[in-house]
Amino acid sequence: MIMEAPVASDGVTSTGYRETVKIPDRLLRRDQDRLEEAVRRKEAKENLSVSEEKIDHFSSAFNTEKTVIEELLSVCSEADRDQLSRVLEEVTSRIQQLQKFLNDSTVFLTQYELRQAQASLQKLQCGLEEKRDEFIPKKKFAFRSRNIGANMSKVIKPIRDQPASSDSGSSDGNLGVVSVVYAEQCGFSNAHSQVLTKEADEIQQRDVLLSHLTNCKVRLLGSPSTLHIKHVRDSEILCGPVSSSVFVDQCTGCTLAVPCQQLRTHNTTDTQVYLHVTSRAIIEDCTGVGFAPFTWSYDGIDADFKLAGLDFERNNWNQVDDFNWLAAGTPSPNWTVIPALERKCTWE
Amino acid sequence: MGLLTILKKMKHKEREMRLLMLGLDNAGKTTILKKFNGEDVSTISPTLGFNIKTLEHRGFKLNIWDVGGQKSLRSYWRNYFESTDGLVWVVDSADRLRLEDCRQELSSLLLEERLAGATLLVFANKQDLPGALSKDGIREALALDSIKTHHWCIIGCSAVTGENLLPGVDWLLDDIGARIFTAD
Ligand SMILES: Nc1nc2c(ncn2[C@@H]2O[C@H](COP(=O)(O)OP(=O)(O)OP(=O)(O)O)[C@@H](O)[C@H]2O)c(=O)[nH]1
Ligand SMILES: [Mg+2]
Repeated sequence: MIMEAPVASDGVTSTGYRETVKIPDRLLRRDQDRLEEAVRRKEAKENLSVSEEKIDHFSSAFNTEKTVIEELLSVCSEADRDQLSRVLEEVTSRIQQLQKFLNDSTVFLTQYELRQAQASLQKLQCGLEEKRDEFIPKKKFAFRSRNIGANMSKVIKPIRDQPASSDSGSSDGNLGVVSVVYAEQCGFSNAHSQVLTKEADEIQQRDVLLSHLTNCKVRLLGSPSTLHIKHVRDSEILCGPVSSSVFVDQCTGCTLAVPCQQLRTHNTTDTQVYLHVTSRAIIEDCTGVGFAPFTWSYDGIDADFKLAGLDFERNNWNQVDDFNWLAAGTPSPNWTVIPALERKCTWE
Repeated sequence: MGLLTILKKMKHKEREMRLLMLGLDNAGKTTILKKFNGEDVSTISPTLGFNIKTLEHRGFKLNIWDVGGQKSLRSYWRNYFESTDGLVWVVDSADRLRLEDCRQELSSLLLEERLAGATLLVFANKQDLPGALSKDGIREALALDSIKTHHWCIIGCSAVTGENLLPGVDWLLDDIGARIFTAD
């Protein structure tokens, strides 16, 4: 479920009829259930047609307005300065209204329609900003530079003084704050062709990081709270139940086996994941990721499932959302289910 | 029915507030929202678009927007800025690796004109984890003390245990309420 209708709920539905009537509770409740069910069905039916109608209405209103804005933008020219700023103002307010219209309509739109509408709006906004830059460049520049300047002097300076950290994963030479933090980071980094093992007590309910590993075998025999796997090549990583998320970023040629609540996979290629996931897995900027059910085991894994709060019976390993592939109906080409015969079934 | 008519119908009601909840992916935004609403938090998936919930609290009608924080969704955040009364910035206090990323995203949000009037609540979430950075650690890492443009407050909380969620939201309501409802 991606979108939920607004509900005015605090979970306090009152059932005051009970005190006043003498009919046995049980019967009364059954009757009440029956009535409620009937009402619910009727409402569901009505809602369905209403929401279809609303979507049609939304699309046509949205598209009409979009066309108007596009036309306004296309007639912008420098010829008449006065008119230009009026038009840009008009466009600005129309885009805002259209955005509000979209926001207020989200309850009945599908995810696909929503993303499309968002994309259109963004295009309009960019169009507007381009026009602004083109015709009124100075003002904008002055505004931005003042703000950024004020922030920079306070924040970035002290950070630059710190030595760069060994993890080059994130953006530009930042990471001052992060070095405070490194001492306590649990995991393995910068290893080549090694077998690396951690026992339960070292990782229990910890945030564990595996980074810059090549051709390694990693065994984590316990239950971390979160597991980060970054910049890992041609390695095999087996891990006990993770109570929240597993992050996989910039990995290639790996085999992973892990149970978790969420799996978040980024910038990863040619990797096989033997997965137990109780909510869903996602991929973003990935190709060639294969999924199969989790089959690895070790002494005490059942207790670790409990410790991690993961339901052993609930495994959605093949329900994968690709954030780069939102076309309704067609499956993402970026991930596959590993065919049963090709799955690894023994682990050393 | 034309666009304007629809817009008029959707007119802002009294004692209604719009809260926008943002933060990096995995910060715990959806978990906070669901916990606050008394729902099960063990089956939450990464958010592919956003969730909206409308709830009543202390006589206010709160429209809470929880927008996904995955990289590919961040460019859509700005689509939700309009008429935001309160910005809730959620931080995974145990994710030390991405604090810098987190600071940058927050500081660029605070430059947004359309968020200029919003009160900022920072939730230093996941305080139940042994490796979590304290609320003061987060305050420093995000350079909150340099914020002069917004009313702000940081609260350490846990979406899993529910600890401190209510005090956070109450602070936010008080601050917003003092600004927008006492004026008239
Ligand atoms: N231990 C602990 N885990 C938490 C807490 N809050 C959230 N989590 C876990 O963190 C993971 C991410 O939570 P979500 O609520 O999906 O995060 P999000 O911010 O909505 O993420 P996106 O939707 O991708 O933006 C889940 O596995 C949660 O169970 C907390 O307070 N403590
Ligand atoms: Mg979410």
